[in-house]
Amino acid sequence: MKGLLVKDFRLMKGQKNFYFIIIAIAIGIAAISDDSSFLLGLPLVLSLFTLNTISYDEFDNGNAFLFTLPVSRAGYVIEKYCFAFLIGCSVWIFTIFLALVLGLLNVKADVSETMVTAMAVLPAVIVIQAIMIPFQLKFGAEKGRIALLGALGALFMISIVLVKAAKMLKIDTANFVNHLPMISKSAVTAMVLVILVIILLLSLKASISIMKHKEF
Amino acid sequence: MLKIEHLKKNYDNFSLNCSLEVHHGCVTGLIGQNGAGKSTTFKAVLGLISADGGSVRIFGKDLQEFVSEDRENIGVALSDSGFSGYLTVKDIIPILKNLYRNFDYSFFTEQTRRFQLPFDKKIKDFSTGMKAKLKVLVAISHKAKLLILDEPTAGLDVIARDELLEILREFMERDEERSILISSHISSDLETICDDIYMIHEGKVILHEDTDVLLSDYALLKIDEEQFKKLDKQFVLRSKKENYGYSCLTNQKRYYAENYPRIAIEKGTIDEVITMMIRGQES
Repeated sequence: MKGLLVKDFRLMKGQKNFYFIIIAIAIGIAAISDDSSFLLGLPLVLSLFTLNTISYDEFDNGNAFLFTLPVSRAGYVIEKYCFAFLIGCSVWIFTIFLALVLGLLNVKADVSETMVTAMAVLPAVIVIQAIMIPFQLKFGAEKGRIALLGALGALFMISIVLVKAAKMLKIDTANFVNHLPMISKSAVTAMVLVILVIILLLSLKASISIMKHKEF
Repeated sequence: MLKIEHLKKNYDNFSLNCSLEVHHGCVTGLIGQNGAGKSTTFKAVLGLISADGGSVRIFGKDLQEFVSEDRENIGVALSDSGFSGYLTVKDIIPILKNLYRNFDYSFFTEQTRRFQLPFDKKIKDFSTGMKAKLKVLVAISHKAKLLILDEPTAGLDVIARDELLEILREFMERDEERSILISSHISSDLETICDDIYMIHEGKVILHEDTDVLLSDYALLKIDEEQFKKLDKQFVLRSKKENYGYSCLTNQKRYYAENYPRIAIEKGTIDEVITMMIRGQES
């Protein structure tokens, strides 16, 4: 698996200029605006490189050769999640650091607000990856994007239908949400963590099963 | 070393049913037209596609039970696939080092220098010959016991092909236990390196013979209608109507040379044998 990680980091290195430009633009905007919290969008953008490495692997039928190497299909999938995790976390930490530094330099910026955004971004990064990786593995780069859009569209439609149905049945959703029992912050964090782990495990299981059935 | 028994794979307009064996210390060639089933066989052997029936055993172990460690003993070069073109030789070295416990760093770098493969150039910018050499070098640089090479010489000029076959010869010389399964549609490549050859056509093995026998005992009899009528056809494998009469493929050249001294007998080349086996009529 280490060999695959090395491969992905080497592939990423080949695109370093692209990432430097993104980071430079983000820093530039942050420096001239009052709010540095949008820097936290960086992990979202940069962690998408995991999906990019999947496209690289698929390009020119590269997967066929890859699976003749001492790599199992499950091992390949696990490596992708590890790579996503490593990239996501390191970019996340780096951007928090950057946001804090910029926040300190700029009196107007609100550091605590940045931290709250940072905490919210990490689960978002994980969920996005957990959804995108199986899609990318199943449908490939081009079709994967279309399939994902389709899935999001379907989700949107379902939620609209649900809301409409609730209205028709005269269920007051806003009232329902407002009357949810208040839960402590730590309980919410724990719940979020558990949900994230479940999402990740389900995503991993789906990805492994997708790869096991693939033919090259 | 490698034993394939009734390996089956069915597609809409093609079905494979192939049995073959690669022995210890042998180079076995797989020859056939484009679309004959060579690549399908290789892919099924490597577990890249699932087989619909039959069995594949490598090092005495069923392919289904193969784990990643077992794959360290196999070196593979595929015609239509390889490392990402966006990597360089310099990138590949640490990848191989981390994938194969037996990766021979000094051998690999020495060979890349010998074949003048640039270290810092992206593989996609390599010439066809360079790409082919790199694929084979990757396959042989981790002390594999079995090489599986699908069309390693495709698209190469004569010099590059010779160099590549030389690499393989050296690989075999270093350890007598090593084996190679190699496919090609360039028969002269196989003639020079293979101990035995399987000929595959429309998914089936139509001929298996030692290369020596193929070159010494196979012949084409070129005869007119009269001679054809009188010919004892028990050793004629295939015959084909020609404008001068018939050409017949035999695997008993000496028999016909001794009993029919007046007929023209041409030494069979692998190309001619293939053509006759595919185009000729069974007698």
